[in-house]
Amino acid sequence: MLEAFTYILIIAVLGLNALVSIYGIVYGRSLVKKLISLTILSDTVLVAVIFAGFYYAYPIVPPVYQDLAGAGREFLVKHASDPLPQALVLTGIVIGLAVNALIAFGIIQAYRLAKTTDARKVVEVLSGVEVTE
Amino acid sequence: MSRRIIILILLFTATLIASFTATIILNPATPSELKGLAKYYVLNTINETASPEAVTAIVWDYRGLDTIYETLVLYLAIVGGLAMFKMSEEALLKTRIGLTLLSKTSTKIVALLIASIAAAIVFHGHLSPGGGFPGGSAVAVASMIIIPVFAAGTLIEKGVSSTKLVAIRGAALTALGLVALLPVVKGLEIVTNQRFYPASILGLPISGSLSLYNLFESLAVASGFTAIALYLSIPEEAHKGGSGA
Repeated sequence: MLEAFTYILIIAVLGLNALVSIYGIVYGRSLVKKLISLTILSDTVLVAVIFAGFYYAYPIVPPVYQDLAGAGREFLVKHASDPLPQALVLTGIVIGLAVNALIAFGIIQAYRLAKTTDARKVVEVLSGVEVTE
Repeated sequence: MSRRIIILILLFTATLIASFTATIILNPATPSELKGLAKYYVLNTINETASPEAVTAIVWDYRGLDTIYETLVLYLAIVGGLAMFKMSEEALLKTRIGLTLLSKTSTKIVALLIASIAAAIVFHGHLSPGGGFPGGSAVAVASMIIIPVFAAGTLIEKGVSSTKLVAIRGAALTALGLVALLPVVKGLEIVTNQRFYPASILGLPISGSLSLYNLFESLAVASGFTAIALYLSIPEEAHKGGSGA
């Protein structure tokens, strides 16, 4: 019962996290706050990917053999954590960091041209068109 | 402001109550064993890739082509960011004053420690948890603490320029592509590991191409993020006085 409750609670909290960060991306005024919300959303997705490979076992060990002969195979199949989500998240974090840096460069450049990071004002200054809500 | 806090508290309680009722009504069976695909990877990694580490085997062998394209995305993102900035290094040369002697000395020690740990992560990446991406990020952390303490201008005077860093990055990426392409010469598929590369050299287990991929990937990640840190360390005052955007 407790296992099922924690399982569902993690799913619900991930959903709540995604909801709040999407709210921040859509309604946030500052471009920097939009970027922070975007990083929270991407981290939520990465945690969800890790959670997809989750299962109850004790003790849990990394999916690494202790010697090159391949001993302990049966133990590893019963107790190793899922390697596939780890591999996907490993590359996902680095790619996310690079893309975030690209967005940060864009925000800094927009700040230098428009002297503000407010999304609506940046559009107004750069295009000359007034933004109505 | 207070309305926002009330809404947040309501959302939290709603999440708690919803998950509690869902547990009572549905009472789902939680997973208690490894999924089939993961089972295959864990069972066969040591025979098919000569690597006892399943994660590295997936990253560079089972899904090697995916990872090479992801490295390309990383490269394009960094080059795009640097191209957007288009700074001359005159503005950077104005930031020559670093921190005090005390912090400089301690930074030297800490950066050396971080770099040695990063080397361990990279060179053991095919045997223990780690690999090219985390090792390269660790090197980038070392350079990120060096840049503010010693000031970007001093580093550029010593010959560390973003052009050179991007060149290192390009060279590492080319080497990575060559490692992936080399098996084609013998008529094998691209990103072949065990049928082309040896599992060990002079009794040293290198897991075929996996250790080479880790080495070049860490070089690419470290130089790319160091270039980004160098560009982001320009203070706004130096930029205004410099050549302009």
